[in-house]
Amino acid sequence: MALWSEQKPAEDFYRVLAPDGTLVNEPPGLEEGELRELYRTMKLTKRFEDKALKLQRAGEVSIISRCRGEEATPLGAAAALEPGDWCLPLYRQRSGLVYWNVPLERQLVGLMGAEPETIDEHLPDDLEEPDVNFSPIYVPLGSNLPNTVGSALADKLNGRDTVSLTFVGDGSTSEGDFHEALNFAGVFDVPAVFVCQNNQWAISVPAHRQTASETFAQKGDAYGIPNERVDGNDIFAVYEKAKEAVDRARNGGGPTFIECVTYRIVEHNTADEPSVYRDEEQREYWLERDPIDRFEAYLLEEGVIDADTIDAMEDAIDERIDEAVEIARDVPTSSPELMFENHLRGTSWKERHQRAELQRELDGKNPFVDWTGEGFE
Amino acid sequence: MNDTRTTDGETTERNLVETINRTLADEMRNDASVRLMGYDIGPIGGVYRTTEGLYDEFGGDRVIDTPLSENGLLGTAVGMAMRGERIVPEIQFMGFFYPAFGQFMYTLVKMHERSGGAFDVPMTVRMVCGGGIKASEYHSESTETFLVHTPGVRVVYPSGPREAKGLLAASIRHDDPVVFMEHKKLYRTHREPVPEEEYTLPLDEARIARTGEDLTLISWGAMVRHAETAADRVDADVEIIDLRTLSPLDIETVLESVKKTGRCVVFHEARRTLGLGAELTAVINEYAFDRLHAPVQRATGYDVHFPGNQIEEAYLPDPERAQYAIEAVMNYEF
Ligand SMILES: Cc1ncc(C[n+]2csc(CCOP(=O)(O)OP(=O)(O)O)c2C)c(N)n1
Ligand SMILES: [Mg+2]
Repeated sequence: MALWSEQKPAEDFYRVLAPDGTLVNEPPGLEEGELRELYRTMKLTKRFEDKALKLQRAGEVSIISRCRGEEATPLGAAAALEPGDWCLPLYRQRSGLVYWNVPLERQLVGLMGAEPETIDEHLPDDLEEPDVNFSPIYVPLGSNLPNTVGSALADKLNGRDTVSLTFVGDGSTSEGDFHEALNFAGVFDVPAVFVCQNNQWAISVPAHRQTASETFAQKGDAYGIPNERVDGNDIFAVYEKAKEAVDRARNGGGPTFIECVTYRIVEHNTADEPSVYRDEEQREYWLERDPIDRFEAYLLEEGVIDADTIDAMEDAIDERIDEAVEIARDVPTSSPELMFENHLRGTSWKERHQRAELQRELDGKNPFVDWTGEGFE
Repeated sequence: MNDTRTTDGETTERNLVETINRTLADEMRNDASVRLMGYDIGPIGGVYRTTEGLYDEFGGDRVIDTPLSENGLLGTAVGMAMRGERIVPEIQFMGFFYPAFGQFMYTLVKMHERSGGAFDVPMTVRMVCGGGIKASEYHSESTETFLVHTPGVRVVYPSGPREAKGLLAASIRHDDPVVFMEHKKLYRTHREPVPEEEYTLPLDEARIARTGEDLTLISWGAMVRHAETAADRVDADVEIIDLRTLSPLDIETVLESVKKTGRCVVFHEARRTLGLGAELTAVINEYAFDRLHAPVQRATGYDVHFPGNQIEEAYLPDPERAQYAIEAVMNYEF
């Protein structure tokens, strides 16, 4: 059976932490507390996704895409934002969401297939909400990108010093929306940051099939946008370049495009089986470049954490996850009439009528017996 | 294309995935200009495995994995088709077809007409559609109305493997552009005997799935089997029309049946507003009004975006919904 040949991307990107956790460049000036928080976020993300995977296998969650092995990219990018900024994520940026405290409960109930109204109504009121503004997760690939330009343009035209940040997969750079967005961003010189999470696969299609460009980063050149190419498994490299980009955007310096080179060491999502289309040799290579292991080695070496702090942290993380699962399970199943919510403010005859039809169907009554348009009975 | 089935040929029980896979392979063996295009169709064999094994057999010039762009895919396919290739692009989910609407509207449906018939666009867009597998919103859509509303493209929608085989072969061989709808719920849920021989089916003729005298139930795709279940349950002699081709519509078969029964229910998964039920109701109203014993009813999806997993069952039309509509129409009195 044919498998895709893989091509190793060039590793002449910006790197601070080598895969073994030693420094090859100056680290960003982060306090010990901030370093521990970044580390904790990666671990929490990983353990949360492990849990979600178990829930998926048990049938409580229908499908999940993990960012396992890619945690440093969304995390480093999102950590560069300030409260009040905007982030428009896709489905593989969980570490960024976790960093800004998008409640785990909210994420879980979403994965459980509830309607957004159910989530809003039934989650405890005292859940901490994020200080960064998050859009809903985008699923149609590329569609987030022009919206990010618009979000940033709105800030620019109103003289606000807010930054909008979004992500794009290697595969999704092939969509027209990507090119249109970068072009608009360049022309309007908006305060936006585009982070390409190049995990080298788009479901079964390898990145070398998406572009004939040598790098994704260089696509920024075509649109007159400053660009960077960094080791996406190196939290320091991602953070530093994202921070530069966010600061520049905030100070009127316009957009930046950052390619973060990482690898999808796991399945595309829980419906996928990668061994069908790729060999696992590359995976082994990238496992040795794991973002969490690398950062952990550094922090241990620097004495920022030790075996005891890790144990205590893991216990606290697991407790937090268990609590979130319990709260999520307590949220009732969405009721069917919620399908009608939030369409044109519910003022139409048609909506009233179809709501009544659905209710009759649920009550075991015939919904097709209004012969006058004046209602049932 | 004609119905070229013989009646006494050998059959094998197959599901829709296997049938599509085998039919694609047959057509590719028969005609070297047939090429498949799309993302995730090569080594992985499609996310639903409909193209499994075809990359191994035919290679990367016949089973072409493209960059991830629906508009690029469709537009490139049209260009190749203009030059005589017979392209079969796959749209992985109907909910992700919309980036390709530009190429669809500007070139795919127009090239033949704008060139005064000089250019054919022989391509068959395989469109994976429909809900019911808890895949949520974008992965569950039935927006065939957009396609049917547009002149210049055939829209074909098999209700099961046996129909799919002949309809897909006919679509690929036809010189018109075709959108071939594949309801993902049908992929693996249902097996039936499929003739081993090669055959085509007409691309403009509905099929009478069951004859009856009291009421005409018009349906297509995954709803046809629900229609059959509903017909079994009601106390009426129901005639079921499986449209098979949504564009062009087989108005003759529809009118003939409705004039005979005097009652009609249209049953579709798509939303009601401007769903094909609206057009069928209008046509029946225009040409069979004086034969009707009751208004035509539409049992459909609701006018909302496809909902989340927890409530998709309440959204999706099922045999009960068809049954209610049949009973309402049967009991109607002037
Ligand atoms: C417009 C659109 N087309 C197709 C899909 C189906 N799809 C979901 S994820 C995916 C692959 C995306 O690859 P990439 O952009 O590299 O992101 P990754 O999943 O690797 O993070 C595809 C084809 C989609 N969601 N949206
Ligand atoms: Mg990718």
